[in-house]
Amino acid sequence: MRRIKRFLKSPTATMLTFVLAAGLLLFSSIGGARAALTYFSETYVSRVQMSNIGVTLLENGKEISKRDYNKTSDGTWNESTGVLLGNMLEKGEEFKIGKKYKEELNVRNSGTIDQYVRVSIYKYWVKKDDKQQTLSPNLIDLNLVNVGSDWLLDKSASTDERTVLYYSKLLGEGETTSLFADTIKVDKMVATKVTQYPVEGKKNTIRTVYDYDGMQFCVEAKVDAVQDHNAEDAVWSAWGRRVTVDNETLSLR
Amino acid sequence: MKKKSIYLAVFAVVLVLAGSAGSAWAYFTTYVEAAGTQTISLGDETTVEEEFNSWTKHIVITSDEDSEPVYVRARAYCGSQYELVYTASEKWTPDSDGYYYYSDILNAGEKTSEFIVKIENVPEDVTDASEFNVAVIYETTPVLYDEDGNPYADWNGKLDVTVEKGGNN
Repeated sequence: MRRIKRFLKSPTATMLTFVLAAGLLLFSSIGGARAALTYFSETYVSRVQMSNIGVTLLENGKEISKRDYNKTSDGTWNESTGVLLGNMLEKGEEFKIGKKYKEELNVRNSGTIDQYVRVSIYKYWVKKDDKQQTLSPNLIDLNLVNVGSDWLLDKSASTDERTVLYYSKLLGEGETTSLFADTIKVDKMVATKVTQYPVEGKKNTIRTVYDYDGMQFCVEAKVDAVQDHNAEDAVWSAWGRRVTVDNETLSLR
Repeated sequence: MKKKSIYLAVFAVVLVLAGSAGSAWAYFTTYVEAAGTQTISLGDETTVEEEFNSWTKHIVITSDEDSEPVYVRARAYCGSQYELVYTASEKWTPDSDGYYYYSDILNAGEKTSEFIVKIENVPEDVTDASEFNVAVIYETTPVLYDEDGNPYADWNGKLDVTVEKGGNN
């Protein structure tokens, strides 16, 4: 027993343990290399379908932005980024406060593997590229639809400015989600918010300025997609959110 | 020697962790984004031109070139000894509140048709118009739209006013 203890305490034992660990690692790599060798030796009889992930954001049925892994699998992406609200107004039309404009938003799986998707929507006000923190995002009324059924609201991640939605269904190759928004309008309350200033040099003269005059409302949509295999771990790893996937239906924990 | 053993053990652990890190990064993911903006324009500026002759006031309201569209209403006040007669106009419509409402939206740079108020029962010995105190007031309100894009005026709307002490240019 003493001999064994002495042996375990010796540098030789430590070295042996290390060599054993390194050996285990090497063998696991060799396994992969052997698998690859087998695969290559059989290419003359097999067709290989490469797995490429891709996702597209649609606005009123038109592709706005997409990012697809290239089918050649050479490590490059086929991507383009468009602009939302670009075709909201007719030519020469002025934006009308209170009017509902069509703003149908959804997502298409433009890759070759099934996927789960989530959408983060941001609403805020800007003036000359400066974000206006004091103006209310709630006055930008993007009407969300299918929430609570196809789309799940992540309340823990949502704020007045940000809304996070998870698509509860598995999105197959080439499939399109149901809409998550259908119209947008600016609340008429923006026409009631004013600030009054005394005019310098003019006694008893007050200048009234609309708080929202010249402001731009901004809508931003970010779509994330993740593979369906091992989905719960993939979502946790990629998005940092615990979900349950049961019979291809995703729910938030 | 003891330290060397510890270093080797830590190195082995790092190797094992590095091996598993590969699988953690192996998930297929992608993302896409888009943004867009629209500008809101608010604020209106109108001026009134008033012409007085033959005991009649001719009033025209003009919208500034940079003004947003507005609705207009007007009325006149005077002492009880005189009578005011408004000349009917197809675009100025009286309402029970005493105001006359201009039917058209007044867009930037546009003028209303004349709002005419005649003062009657003027004593013959009075010749100086400045002795009369007939005041015409007019009000504007921004054009609002319902969800279908139909314009309307909200004359009872209240402003949510913030008062600043400092000046503003």
